[in-house]
Amino acid sequence: MRIVIIGGGKLGLSLAQNLVNEKHDVTIVDRNDAVLQKGMDTLDAMFIKGSGVSSEALKEAGAQYADIVIAATTWDEINMLSCLTAKKLGAQYAIARIRDPEYLESLPFLQKELDIDYVINPERSTAREISRMLRFPFAGSLETFARGRVEMVDFRAAEGDQMVGLPLKDINKKNKNMPQVLICGVERGDEAIIPKGDFIIEPGDQVHVVSDVNTITNFFNYIGKGMATVRSVMIMGGSRIAFYLAQMLIAMHIKVSIIEVNPQKARRLSETLPEANIIEGDGTDQELLESEGLADVNAFITLSDRDEENMMAGFYAVQRGVKKVIVKSSRDNYSAIMHNIGLNTIISTKDVACNVILRTVRSRASRSSASVERMYRLMEGRVEALEFIAGVDEPYIHVPMKDLSAPDCLVAVIVREGQVRVPFGNDTIEAGDHVVILSRRTGVSSLNEVLKVK
Amino acid sequence: MNYKLVFRLLGRLMMLEAVLMLPSLAVSLIYGQGDALAFVLTMGITAGIGALPAFLLKPRRSDLNARDGMAVAGLSWAVLSFFGALPAFFSGAIPGLVDAYFETVSGFTTTGSTILTDIEALPRGILFWRSFTHWIGGMGVLVLTVALLPRLSGRTSLLAKAESPGPTFSKLLPRMSDSAKVLYGLYLLLSLLEFVCLMLAGMNGYDALIHTFGTAGTGGFSNYNASIAAFQSPAIEWIIGVFMTLFGVNFAVYFHLVRREWGVAVRSEELWVYLSLVALATLGITATLVPAGTGFWTALRQAFFQSASVISTTGFSTTNFDLWPGLAKSILIVLMCVGACAGSTAGGFKVSRAVLLTKASFREIQRTLTPRKVSVIRFEGKSVQEDTLAQLGVYSFLYVCLALLGGFLVSVAGTDLTASFTAALTCLANVGPGFGAVGPVENFAFFPAPTKLLLSFLMLAGRLEVYPILVLFMPSLWKKN
Repeated sequence: MRIVIIGGGKLGLSLAQNLVNEKHDVTIVDRNDAVLQKGMDTLDAMFIKGSGVSSEALKEAGAQYADIVIAATTWDEINMLSCLTAKKLGAQYAIARIRDPEYLESLPFLQKELDIDYVINPERSTAREISRMLRFPFAGSLETFARGRVEMVDFRAAEGDQMVGLPLKDINKKNKNMPQVLICGVERGDEAIIPKGDFIIEPGDQVHVVSDVNTITNFFNYIGKGMATVRSVMIMGGSRIAFYLAQMLIAMHIKVSIIEVNPQKARRLSETLPEANIIEGDGTDQELLESEGLADVNAFITLSDRDEENMMAGFYAVQRGVKKVIVKSSRDNYSAIMHNIGLNTIISTKDVACNVILRTVRSRASRSSASVERMYRLMEGRVEALEFIAGVDEPYIHVPMKDLSAPDCLVAVIVREGQVRVPFGNDTIEAGDHVVILSRRTGVSSLNEVLKVK
Repeated sequence: MNYKLVFRLLGRLMMLEAVLMLPSLAVSLIYGQGDALAFVLTMGITAGIGALPAFLLKPRRSDLNARDGMAVAGLSWAVLSFFGALPAFFSGAIPGLVDAYFETVSGFTTTGSTILTDIEALPRGILFWRSFTHWIGGMGVLVLTVALLPRLSGRTSLLAKAESPGPTFSKLLPRMSDSAKVLYGLYLLLSLLEFVCLMLAGMNGYDALIHTFGTAGTGGFSNYNASIAAFQSPAIEWIIGVFMTLFGVNFAVYFHLVRREWGVAVRSEELWVYLSLVALATLGITATLVPAGTGFWTALRQAFFQSASVISTTGFSTTNFDLWPGLAKSILIVLMCVGACAGSTAGGFKVSRAVLLTKASFREIQRTLTPRKVSVIRFEGKSVQEDTLAQLGVYSFLYVCLALLGGFLVSVAGTDLTASFTAALTCLANVGPGFGAVGPVENFAFFPAPTKLLLSFLMLAGRLEVYPILVLFMPSLWKKN
C-alpha cells in the first residue's frame, strides 16, 4: 500500500520502519532537515521536505494516490488539518494523532467534519493497554470495536471453570449471576470453531468472548480470572496517561491514588478526578510512598515523564513486594536493564501507539472492501472479526435475527446509539447500527453477503 | 568499516560483472576472432574470486552504514574496472595491464578517453565489452545491483546515493529498488529508441549497438578510429547529437513525463539552463565557424554535435575541433567545466551545481552592500539549505583542486600546458578528448604508466563525485568497527 506519514518524530520513524519492513511504499513528510537526513540514511522510504498542511508538499508526497495518510506530528491541530487536506486531495484513509484531552469530548463531530477516519490518542491507548494488563493479565489478545465500546478477549478454559462441560445455551441458566457475554469463537487444537448453542467447551480450549467493556470485566471477575484482587492502584506522576487510566480504573470501582509533585497539576487532577486520591509530593520519596500505603496497594504504576524516576520508584516498589509493578519508559535501550533488575512489565507510549496504528494499517491492507470498518484476524487468521455499519435499504434491515440465516458466520454484537447489545432471536439490525460479525469465510465484503433472509 | 559486509557486497558485484560479460562472450563467439577464451577465463576468475567473500563471509551486522556505503562505492568501481580490464589483457588486444586498466576505467566512468591507436584492429567481442562498460557505468553498477538484488541490504539507498550524480539525491519512488528499476527501465527505453533510429539511418546492427552504448552512457567509445566522422552521414550525426543531449537530462524529468506530470517536468530549472547552454554554445560556435569558411548548415551541425558531445560529457567527434578558432575551443572548455544535469548518465561538475553557485555568489555580492538583508536561495522552486551551499562550496574547491593538481602532475610527463590541463579536466569531467596532444584525433597512449594511473584516478573521482574515491585514502575508513 502507499502510505504517507506526516511528521518524522519518534512515532513517525518507528511506524515507517515497521511499514517498510512489511513491504509498504512509505513517504515521510517533515519540515526539519535533520530529521529527513537521519531518516534517509536508515530507511528505504521517500522523504519530502515540507509541512503536512501544505497541499504542495502533500501532492509531492503523493497523498492524492495514498491508501493511508498518518498524521503523527507533535501538534494536534496540524495533524487534523493535514488529514483534512490529504483527504480532500484524494487520500483513501486518514489517521490522526490527537492527544489533547480538551479535544476529547468534541472528537466525534471533529472527526466527522474533518473527515478523519481514525484517531489515535497515544496516552489514552497506553492507559487502555495498562488497564488491560491489570484486568486480563492472562488474556492473549484484546481487540476493540465500535470506538472501544465493544471488546473481544480470549482466555484458556481450565478444568473446573463454570462454563466447562455445559452446552452454551445452558451456561447462563446454570449460573444465574454470571454476566452475559457472547462466546463467539473457540480454538481447539488446530480447529477454529464458531460455536452454536449446543457446543460444549472442554478444558484447554482457547475461548473468545465479546461484550461491552463493563460486562467483560465483571465476567472475568465472576469466573475468577480477572484481577478481582486489584482493589487499589497507586500511580506515580500525574501525566495524561495517569488521567485517562484513573478514569478507566475508577469506572471499574478500583481505588486510585495519584502522586504528583507539581501543585498546579495536582490541583487540576483533583478537579477533574474527584473520586481519585490525589497526593501532592515526590513519587521517588520513599517515606511518602510508605505513608501513603505502598505496601497495601495491589499495583504500582509509574507514569512520570522521567524514565529514571520511573525506574527507581518501580524498583523500590518491587523490593517492597507490590504484586504488579508497571513502569513507563520512553527509551528502547533501557528495557534490557530494567528486566535485569526485576521490572518485567514495561510500557512505552510510542510502542503502544505504533502497534495500534500498525493494526489499523494491517486491517486496511488485508480487508476486502471499503465498507468494512474494522477487521481483525483471530485464531491465526482462520476467523475474521469484521465491523460493518448497516446500510439503509438492505434486505436484512428490520428482520428479527431468528428469521436471518448466516452460514459460517455469527452476529456477535450490535451497537446502536452507543448501546451495546448481544443479539437474540427477536433483535433486529437497524440502519446505521455498528454490527460486528465473526466469519470463517475470508474476504467478506458486506453484510449482504452473509446475512440472508430465510 | 564493516569488512565482512563490504567484501561480501564486493564479491557479489564481481559475480554480477561476470554475468554482464555474457553478451560480449556471445558477440566474440559470433565473430570468432579468438577473444572468446579471454572472456571465459576472465569470467571464471572474476566469478571465482567474487564467490569466496560472497558466500563465505557472514557479517554479524548486515546493515550498511554511511561509511560502508562510501567504501563499497569507491572500492567496487576500482575493483570492477580491474577485472573488466582482463579480457583485453588476456586476449592480447591491449598488451599492457595499465593500458587495459585505463581503457576500462575510461569505459565504466563513461569518459571515453582511449589509449588505442588503431581501434579497428581489435576483435569485435573486446570492442563490444569496451562499449558495454559505458552502458553499465552510465546509470551505475550499484543502481543496477539495487534494481536486480533488492534484498542485498536494508539500506540500499546509501549505495545508490554514493553513486548517483548531483548535489542532492532524491528517489523517484518510496522504495529504492523500485526507483532503480524505473531508472533502468527509462534508460533501456531511451537506448532502444536510439538503436532503432540509428538502424533506420543506415548503421548495421553491431555499429548501432556500439554507438547506442557510447551515447546512452555518455561515454564516447566508437569502434572506428575516426569516431562518428567515419559514417559521413549528417542524419547519424543529428540523431546522435540529439540523443547525447537527451541522455544529459535528469532522468527524473523523463519519470515525470512518463507519469504525465507535464508541469513538474517542464518547470525544471536545471533542464532549461542546460538546454539554453547547448543552444547558446551551438550558436556561438556556428558564428565563429561560418566566417572561417564553413558552410552554415555544416557549421550548425558540427557546432551542435560538438556542443552536445562535450556538455553531455560524451566525447564523440565528427570533426577535429582542435583546429577550430580559439573562441569555439573556449566555448567547449566552458561546457567541459559545467557538464550536464544531475541525475543523468553524464559526468562533469553538473549544471545544478553551477546554477546554485552562481546564485550563491550573487547573494554574497549583494550582502556586501546590504549586510542585514535576509535572502534565501531558491532552486527548482524550493529554498536551499545553507548546509547544502556550504557543502557545495567545499565540493567545488575539491573539484578545482583535483583539476589543477591533476594538470600539474600530468605536465610532469612533459606535455604542454594545453594538453596537460585539458587531459586532467577531460578525465575528471568524464568527457574524453581534450585539446592539443590529447585532442579528438589523438589518444592517451603516449603517457607513461604513472600518468595513466593518475588519469584513471581522476576519472573515477569525477564519476563518483570525488568523495567515495577520496575517502579510500582516509585511514579512519579502514579502521574496524
